[in-house]
Amino acid sequence: MNRLLRGLGLGGITGSPQAFAVSLGIMALLLALPALHNGYLELTFRNILMFAAMSYGWNLLGGYTGYVSFGNVVFFGIGAYCSAVLSAHHVDSLLADVPVALVCAALFAIVVGVPILRLRGHYFGIATLGIALAAADLANNLDVLGGSGGLALKQVPQEQFSLYYYAMWAVALACMLGTFAIARSKLGYAFVAIRENEDAAQVLGVWPTRYKVTAYALGAMMTAAAGAVYAPANGFVDPSIAFAVDDNVFPIVMSILGGMGTAAGPFIGALLLAGLNEILQSQFVKIHSLFFGAIIVLVVLFLPRGIVYLIGLRGGMRRYLADRAAFRV
Amino acid sequence: MAGGILAVAALGFSLVWGILNIINLAHGTFIMLGAYITWQLFTSFHLDPFLSVPIAFAIMYGFGYVLQRGLINQVVRAPILATFLLTFGLSLLLVNLALIVWTGDTRAVSPAYSGANFTVAGVTVPWTKLATLGAALLITALMHVWLVRSKLGRAIRAMAMDVGAAQLAGVRVAHVYAVTFGLGAGLAGAAGALLSLSYSLNPSMGEPFLIKSFVVCVLGGLGSVQGALVGGLVYGIVESFASQLDVTVLGQHLSGSGLQDVIALVVLLVVLVARPTGIMGRAAA
Amino acid sequence: MSADGVLRIENVGMRFGGLWALKGVSFEVRPGSIVGLIGPNGSGKTTLMNVISGVVKPAEGEVAYAGRTIADVPTHDVCRLGIARTFQVVKPFAGLTVRENVAVGAMYGRDGATLSTAACFDRAQALLEEVGLARVAERPASDLTIPDRKRLEVAKALALDPSLLLLDEVMAGLNASEVDEALHLLRAVNARGVTLIVVEHLMKAIMSISTSIVVLAEGKKIAEGLPAEIVASPAVVEAYLGARYAARQGRGRT
Repeated sequence: MNRLLRGLGLGGITGSPQAFAVSLGIMALLLALPALHNGYLELTFRNILMFAAMSYGWNLLGGYTGYVSFGNVVFFGIGAYCSAVLSAHHVDSLLADVPVALVCAALFAIVVGVPILRLRGHYFGIATLGIALAAADLANNLDVLGGSGGLALKQVPQEQFSLYYYAMWAVALACMLGTFAIARSKLGYAFVAIRENEDAAQVLGVWPTRYKVTAYALGAMMTAAAGAVYAPANGFVDPSIAFAVDDNVFPIVMSILGGMGTAAGPFIGALLLAGLNEILQSQFVKIHSLFFGAIIVLVVLFLPRGIVYLIGLRGGMRRYLADRAAFRV
Repeated sequence: MAGGILAVAALGFSLVWGILNIINLAHGTFIMLGAYITWQLFTSFHLDPFLSVPIAFAIMYGFGYVLQRGLINQVVRAPILATFLLTFGLSLLLVNLALIVWTGDTRAVSPAYSGANFTVAGVTVPWTKLATLGAALLITALMHVWLVRSKLGRAIRAMAMDVGAAQLAGVRVAHVYAVTFGLGAGLAGAAGALLSLSYSLNPSMGEPFLIKSFVVCVLGGLGSVQGALVGGLVYGIVESFASQLDVTVLGQHLSGSGLQDVIALVVLLVVLVARPTGIMGRAAA
Repeated sequence: MSADGVLRIENVGMRFGGLWALKGVSFEVRPGSIVGLIGPNGSGKTTLMNVISGVVKPAEGEVAYAGRTIADVPTHDVCRLGIARTFQVVKPFAGLTVRENVAVGAMYGRDGATLSTAACFDRAQALLEEVGLARVAERPASDLTIPDRKRLEVAKALALDPSLLLLDEVMAGLNASEVDEALHLLRAVNARGVTLIVVEHLMKAIMSISTSIVVLAEGKKIAEGLPAEIVASPAVVEAYLGARYAARQGRGRT
């Protein structure tokens, strides 16, 4: 079975092939969503797709190389502000927004990544958090970016509403397929080798800095693409939207819930968590965060390795309990 | 003066991080709870806020112990993200519980002496701030002595060096982990009690202190009492200097007061890249 | 014989704090030879391996391979000079399968850039058969026993297609027949033209396989020669065997 799957290009470090197939199937269904002409559903699922893209962006570095960023929202902000600034200069086209955002995010990731990716473990995470917080403060104080008042973008005409849904869908799909392709290539194995043991990887010829920065920059581009589509769709950007705390933490939670270092995990996590959050928000207006917190606690306690791990689990309940026991003291 | 409280808060954060390898995202929430405990005791029983400090410490210690023993120990050996996420969920849960119990209204603790001050060499010093700093230094000193002298304190420090060896030497890991987390929570509670004298209270008041604790830990180096103290005081000074600055960059006018966090964070980044183990840090383990 | 492929270790010194782990160590390794590196615990063998493989830079002196100074080459490029190593404390990629572990070596080794991903997996499979790990190729590396982890270390290093292979205690913990298998494997690798430097505590094994022996004690080279000469050398018996006897007697008392 494994040989067959590898022959098909599945297995290995992409995670459970079944989970990936299911994700692709759901994506295909989501393409048909605008046919329902339900604005609320479209908005909700555009949000879910946005979180999926951001989760893929986080997962490439956090899941595959093991370097946990607590500040990936900075790339979402860069993407959103690229679109906003372009709009201020009367350029209102996703065909301009997305490429500019990709280039800006990649450049920023490379410039920042080279020094901070020398840091290991928590220290890297804190450096990224610092950058995200500083970026938000900076945006609050820069007139070019509208300061704390933010920037308004061109209003989206009603008949173009679905365009942004399709764009977000395309971004999410590109992230999903991109992650899959990377996980099947030598590049993916360089990332995982760094995660598993950086010193051993180095002796085997993997240049850690180069591949860490590559993962960081690719993830940054995924996240920025989501931001670049979000800003014109939303019609307005300010620092509290572009650098929202939720947008920083949710992709991490989603990747973990779905399965870090897998090609399907971020999408499954985003679908479940963003969907659940939406339902909780509509049902329990005041205390939905309470439930959300409780759900996170339960997920970590019972599914610390994520859903894709569970789908791919061989050995049933005993293996599950044994794996969980390994985390206990 | 804020540096002293920050040192206490950061010390708790630093113990948990350095010894248990847990980034406790609920640390700011624990600080908030400490402040509300003080407010509740002051409002209901007219208890002096300074007397609430040990009570807040004790309550939060117990709470932290139970949390670690019951929940966090279940996943403490999982990749770091598990505990990161768990504490994030806990923080969300607790903040929202606090919203229900105490509402989102801003509260204040203002004993009769809160306005009193004295003047030295032309500088007006409020008594409460001085007493707060004194209390913070006292707590830090007591913590240091306890960690160095007591049997349990030594067990904690032994565990920071080598869990396996500590276990072989008879240290009950599950218990000591819980004690350490309890201490972290207790220190957060004490910091919250001290904060309640000079800050207004609301359920999300802890967040900035979580981030500052991060920075202080990195400045001072992990798991060290001196590091937290020096880091806290240095941070306090950097922050107050930053708020005085006025700069113009590329035609953009930037005022220090809006940017004090940016400047503090830039200092953090520079320290991180130049000295990844902190100003007082040892070589990385 | 040309200078190509010769490993020159010249006056190498390395210190940790105030302590010299290595001091003034010089010797040469000719292509195709098997050099046994022995010495009591703490004599600097692993440190020397780290210097040769470019993991640490020497405080003094230099190591040159095929005319290139190792210290000038970034650690991740040392394998492209044809130098591979194993770690005494094994470092498997625990989350990857055994075959994937070896394939990573093939992907980024000397000729990795020219190999397709599939070719890397094929080479990995062939190497696993050679070192006797084909039966566990699909298992995660974290499931392996200690002897199998040692084999995996060797397979990963071989995947780099090295011309000089440094082996740090790959036979520790193996039983007698496994040691024989390991020796057989090393001879086969050497027969393909790979130069070997072998650090080992098993005297019988290392004396039987090495073409020459270098003895370290307290960071200094105290002897160098054919295995037969080393066994007969009074300096070695005193420094090396003396220390071991003392250790054994110390154990006997407790």
